[in-house]
Amino acid sequence: MRRLRRRTPPALPPLLCRWDLDKTYLRSEFDSLRQLLRTAFERGEDKVDVPGVAALIKAIKAAAERRGRGALVHFVSASPPQIGRAIRDKLALDGVPYDGIVFKNQLANIRRGKLRNLREHVGFKLVELFRGRLAAPAESRELLFGDDWESDSLIYSLYADLLACRLDADAVVPILRRIGVDPLLVDEAVALAGRAAGPDAVDRIFINLERRTPPATFRLFGPRVVPTFNYFQTAVVLAADGVLDAEDVATVARSLVETAGYAPRGLENSLHDLVRRGAVAPPAAERLTAALRPAGVLPPLAASPGRWRRIVATFARLRGRRRAADVAAARSEPAAIDYEAILARLRPGAADAEGRRA
Amino acid sequence: MPTIAVDAMGGDHAPGEIVRGVAQVSLTTDIECLLVGDERRIQDVLESVPYNPEHISIVHARDVVGMADDPHEALKTRKDASLFVGIRAVVDGRAGAMVSAGNTGAAVLGCARHFRLIKGIKRAALASVYPRSTEYAGQDPLALLVDAGATVRCDADELVQFALMGSAYARRISKVPSPRVGLVNMGSEETKGGDALVDAYRRLRRIPALNFVGNVEGHDLVRGRADVIVCEGFVGNVVLKLVEGVAEVFGDVARAAAQRRVSWRLGLALLSRELERLRELTDYTQYGGSPILGFEQLFIKCHGRSNARAVANAVKVAAKAVRDRVPAEIADAVALFR
Repeated sequence: MRRLRRRTPPALPPLLCRWDLDKTYLRSEFDSLRQLLRTAFERGEDKVDVPGVAALIKAIKAAAERRGRGALVHFVSASPPQIGRAIRDKLALDGVPYDGIVFKNQLANIRRGKLRNLREHVGFKLVELFRGRLAAPAESRELLFGDDWESDSLIYSLYADLLACRLDADAVVPILRRIGVDPLLVDEAVALAGRAAGPDAVDRIFINLERRTPPATFRLFGPRVVPTFNYFQTAVVLAADGVLDAEDVATVARSLVETAGYAPRGLENSLHDLVRRGAVAPPAAERLTAALRPAGVLPPLAASPGRWRRIVATFARLRGRRRAADVAAARSEPAAIDYEAILARLRPGAADAEGRRA
Repeated sequence: MPTIAVDAMGGDHAPGEIVRGVAQVSLTTDIECLLVGDERRIQDVLESVPYNPEHISIVHARDVVGMADDPHEALKTRKDASLFVGIRAVVDGRAGAMVSAGNTGAAVLGCARHFRLIKGIKRAALASVYPRSTEYAGQDPLALLVDAGATVRCDADELVQFALMGSAYARRISKVPSPRVGLVNMGSEETKGGDALVDAYRRLRRIPALNFVGNVEGHDLVRGRADVIVCEGFVGNVVLKLVEGVAEVFGDVARAAAQRRVSWRLGLALLSRELERLRELTDYTQYGGSPILGFEQLFIKCHGRSNARAVANAVKVAAKAVRDRVPAEIADAVALFR
């Protein structure tokens, strides 16, 4: 008798999630000197997290565990290590599991007279991302989380392209110099990139639109960068990518409804917004909607419409699918990122300075 | 929070300014907006400005009623136009009110076709606010003019109903407990103006729930004698355009004077703060839009030239009218009179 051999599915590579802290995890307010000082002296219990972020990190960990894959959560912050204790207290209070946290040693910059480095984070973050990569399992897939306050989309995209060898040292050095990155950090980043380069490991870059920056601003970065208005949207994209299950999305949604006053209708609108922007395919959105509605996080369907209305609604849905598919196809065209255009848009000062020097 | 359907394709600056206005509202209020129109074009504008997606949904409509289209023809042939799709969304209960800067005639006809008139109301009226001087501290700096063009010629019955509707609207929206109602005429005596106006005067005077102050003449319109000005649509439309025109002429005259002599420029600079206040007072964009009164559902008609600010304010006025149950207030006022 032939024995049936059960095939075990191939083990999923571990997941490496890197998070920015301020404005991505924490609702830090440092627009004025007073706010900056207050932030510096805040205790863990005073700090406020962005709604849904803690639930999302826990959901990513839980989903990875269910899939039998490891999930590492690392925080990379440009804040000084002096506030590290308050941050760790806050993460403990939120029950957020994490595997590493890195701060920027601002005192060292002051001691070395590198005052420009106090405000310039691109070099620091790039170096820390490569260091973290080298310390993680080589086959790890990466998800990067940032915000629209500084240059997270630029830093993460440079990192992803250097890692995947889409960008070489000759191309990146002038870019970093134009941004004003410390030459020592430029050399270090290039050296680390050389050691880490190989896999195209960054699957998604999520940008939390804390400042409500128009999403079109991020089109220059290509479809890998997904700007999201809330962490429900982030969870939906992760579910569509197969990182989370519908139950995880429901958990994130529930935390937003229960702790931040979100309404099911608002969440449904957020989901539709993602579909219109081409970040989630209509079939995936429909599957999720079908699972989330019974969970009570999306509004219930109106009373069953008549036969003709149902037919009309079906046609409308199909039309919507086609429109959304067109948008998704147009926006998912793989194209090399034009960093010149990005710098001209995000850092016009850097571009002008370079022009004058030339 | 109420849901307001917004015709994204109606108006001289649609969809850009309309979508921008809705985006502004989404960031500053909890009002939910249902943008009706070409989904792709709406989305393109939306993604280029700051907005809050939690408060915005889009209903696709493939057609548009142009500003120059014949309203009757549009109603017959453009059933899938954003204006009519939005009106049907209100009828279906998906939205509490509709806002449009599009074709006024088509809007009035669309409402007449799809909305239901309040019991006892014969004709709908387009109400519009305009700035005027005040007679006492705390008086609303805006007067309500009913009708501004929906019903060209009116009989006495209709004028009386306009007075009741305008008074109810002012009570709810302007929060004037007992708005003063005036009837536009060519003299203050009750015998002036022809049969319809004389009859309307006598009947209005007999309604105890109405604070009727009698006939108002042209020069009273910009003073604070009445909070609600009642007239037939033809007269109302002329009055409104005249007020707008005069405000624009003031601006032009000031600009021309400033160019002619340095001393005049200096004088205008010294008066700049007051002139800015005058400009703000006469700026239609801050008043939102004009409600079409008389239906069980609400429709706010914005100026065709509306910019984002005007649309945002119209959406806020619509939400306020839904929250304050303006149609119910009008229905109660009319029922009392019957």
